[in-house]
Amino acid sequence: MVAGITGATLPVRREGRPVSGASVGGPVDAAEEPQAQTAPEQADPQLAAETAQQRTARFERDAMPLLDQLYAAALRMTRNPTDAEDLVQETYLKAYGAFGSFRAGTNLRAWLYRILTNTYINGYRKRQRQPAQQPTDEISDWQLAQAEQHTSSGLRSAEMEALDRLPDSDVKDALSELAEDFRMAVYLADVEGFAYKEIAEIMGTPIGTVMSRLHRGRKQLREMLTDVARERGFLRDAEVAS
Amino acid sequence: MSCGDPHETDCGEVLAELWLFLDNECDHERRELLKRHLDECGPCLEEFGLEEHLKALLARKCGGDHAPDGLKQRLRQSISEIVMRQAKLGAEVTVEQDGAGTVVEVRSSVESHTWRYRRTEVQER
Repeated sequence: MVAGITGATLPVRREGRPVSGASVGGPVDAAEEPQAQTAPEQADPQLAAETAQQRTARFERDAMPLLDQLYAAALRMTRNPTDAEDLVQETYLKAYGAFGSFRAGTNLRAWLYRILTNTYINGYRKRQRQPAQQPTDEISDWQLAQAEQHTSSGLRSAEMEALDRLPDSDVKDALSELAEDFRMAVYLADVEGFAYKEIAEIMGTPIGTVMSRLHRGRKQLREMLTDVARERGFLRDAEVAS
Repeated sequence: MSCGDPHETDCGEVLAELWLFLDNECDHERRELLKRHLDECGPCLEEFGLEEHLKALLARKCGGDHAPDGLKQRLRQSISEIVMRQAKLGAEVTVEQDGAGTVVEVRSSVESHTWRYRRTEVQER
């Protein structure tokens, strides 16, 4: 019952020391490793202990405005609004709990996404009893897997126009059909605009894995969307550039 | 396949790195090299255009969902309850998920409270 690996503990904490750089690290660890909370923190006379009221105000000001974004990401992960709402709620309560140690100057958005991703992986995915999808992205040199070619005719513009005509729901459906790891990498890069390094930290994988997932996810997505466009009659076979 | 024209960089090599270019993930030198190639190679530029288009399409069509009305308010309420109970008990609070919702547990040396959130409900147990 009591928090295991997925739980975040919420003791009264003093604010962590500000650290420069864009690392996602810091309090996320608190969400992953409750035992880390018991480690003595180095006293920093520069920082007075934050009151609960101050922390709540800071959370309201910095974290609350990102709620819609986090919900949209949760929706892409869980693929259903009920679970997405529960996932975001749990993410925010955990984030609030660890917020006392959130280091100013680090990337709050990436930090929240990391808690979201961990919460999803540790809780929801297990609960949904989905077999963990194995996208076999173990190819270390992702570029080796490619044999890129371009066509020399003007078929691309027909494909582009066809893709533009697809309704939003078709594009969302195609994204949701991607294997989970591919889906998240593509979502974080293309919709949220995170850098590879940030995605690697959010997903807890090496950058090479992120690149491989992105590359293959986008490729599959493009194939799927082209197929849908063809089914809808937006694209004739002859117009599909391969 | 190559477009047949001689380039400083091979088309295959450029195509393999289009996404890096598009994602702004290559260094300045590499970027300039790829840019030069795209300037002089129509087919690669076209491929780049399509990939760029696809990225923009995803951003346009797959984001922008709004959290349900009231979620923010419920979160605020949950947070203020946590703060209140924490202050009252001087306790440690844990948040976790079980099959039916978010479970918040407040533990102190003298007493322990657990309550559960599932969207619209707050249930004491």
